[in-house]
Amino acid sequence: MNDYIKPLPVIQPHSVEFWEGTKQGKLLIQSCNDCHAPMTYPRKFCSECWSTNLGWRESSGKGTVYSFSVTYEGVEPIFHDDLPIILAWIDLPEGVRMTTNIINCDPDKVQIGMNVEVVFKPVTDEVTLHYFQPST
Amino acid sequence: MSKGLAIIGIAEVPTKRDPERTRWDILLEVCMGAVRDAGIDKNQINAVISPNPMAQPEMQNDMALGKIPEVLGLKGCRDICITNAGGASNTNCLRLAQELIDCGQANFVLIPHTTVQSDIPPADLINFFATAPLDKQWEYPFGVSFNGSMGLITNRYMYETGATEAQMATVTVALRAWAAKDPNSIFYGKPITLADVLESRMISTPLKAKECNFLADGGGAMVVTSHDIAKSLGSGRHAYKLGHGTRFMSATPFVREDLFHRKAYRESSQDALKQAGLHIDDMDLRQIYGAYPYTQCSALEGYGVCKEGEGASVWAEGRCGPGGDLPCTTMGDATGRGHVGSGVSMAFYIDTVRQIRGEAGARQINNCDNVIVTTSGGSVMNTCTTVFGSEAR
Repeated sequence: MNDYIKPLPVIQPHSVEFWEGTKQGKLLIQSCNDCHAPMTYPRKFCSECWSTNLGWRESSGKGTVYSFSVTYEGVEPIFHDDLPIILAWIDLPEGVRMTTNIINCDPDKVQIGMNVEVVFKPVTDEVTLHYFQPST
Repeated sequence: MSKGLAIIGIAEVPTKRDPERTRWDILLEVCMGAVRDAGIDKNQINAVISPNPMAQPEMQNDMALGKIPEVLGLKGCRDICITNAGGASNTNCLRLAQELIDCGQANFVLIPHTTVQSDIPPADLINFFATAPLDKQWEYPFGVSFNGSMGLITNRYMYETGATEAQMATVTVALRAWAAKDPNSIFYGKPITLADVLESRMISTPLKAKECNFLADGGGAMVVTSHDIAKSLGSGRHAYKLGHGTRFMSATPFVREDLFHRKAYRESSQDALKQAGLHIDDMDLRQIYGAYPYTQCSALEGYGVCKEGEGASVWAEGRCGPGGDLPCTTMGDATGRGHVGSGVSMAFYIDTVRQIRGEAGARQINNCDNVIVTTSGGSVMNTCTTVFGSEAR
């Protein structure tokens, strides 16, 4: 598992909990305990009210495809084995949008509005990435 | 005190891929060319304000740390500065130059740009465009390239508006038609057909190879001064900046509410037009720097030239290309000119000056008095809209 050569997320102190969550099979969404705004990605301060009183809740992991793009070329060689890559923006019911890949799916069958669910893949001992696949 | 900003000198090298033509070769040629074109002495330049040469760290140091006035012997140079807003860097150069002029610190400012990408390994360029304007934690690990990011936006644009792949492809055909008439474009003399676009390799759906940017080398320079000084110089026409508005949206596309920038195009253009005392219908030419075809469509919708969702059909009707009644982007955008890093906006302003002067050759718009120009930086983080006119107001 440690021969993973693709770029790993640059983890920040305030996003450690998110990545601990993916290792445990949980998709955690950060939100503000004061103003209740969901964070589109984890932050040190609430981007709405600048509160530091931030908390986490577990997403159902079920979302819909807001948009997608199937990449056939134009990526660095380290990604070549993955082509075609289905890039996607997934809208989660918790009010956030995520950039990810749709896996276990025919690239010609992806559609905007399609129901998808999270699937976790450990890529190193330290990092588990969150992908999505068509809902079962 | 003499205020306002007018572009009185321009120079540009043809866009091409040629690693033998060095960054400094380009820089010296365009700096000297723009000063000569302005008809002033080199020692009258009071400041050099440069766009950051992206992905070229050695050149960045040279430009940020004062090599240009030293090498060119600009004895009247009081100040240097470098700006970085990605593709919109030259817009910031113009704004900073105007501040120096307005507060009496400068009469003439030189704005030079150079980019050589042909000596940078392709994988490094892909990496740069995937990591600089996108997110290294939330996007890059998933194989998001710049083309992929723009594919995501374009797909949603087509979904919401019903624009077809063929309609979207007409944008690139029109941009290449302008480019084919432009000796400074890498695609000079190389128009393409709708079939050429639709049958080109798929890169990131729905974007095909011909709809993506061709990374190239190039450079340009401008000399700017105040309205009053410009009026006293030369017998020719100058491009007078009459108004400006900018709207920032977001650094990364996936958090962007105004995903097609319509609101940003609308508000920034309304600000610029209001200051100019003009209406969008007064514009003889619309120069839209978005680098990807959907921006050419959504900008028209944001400007209020057409209804929301109809931008692609306006292009498909042939109204924006050569011979059309709504000429847009005679510069060809990055898809037609070749993408020269932070210099794309420079090429847009230089082309705007050419159009206002009546020096755009086969691309010349008749009686081109008023031009609206929108530039954007990063992943289209902003819309920077400026109105230029042939006369000061």
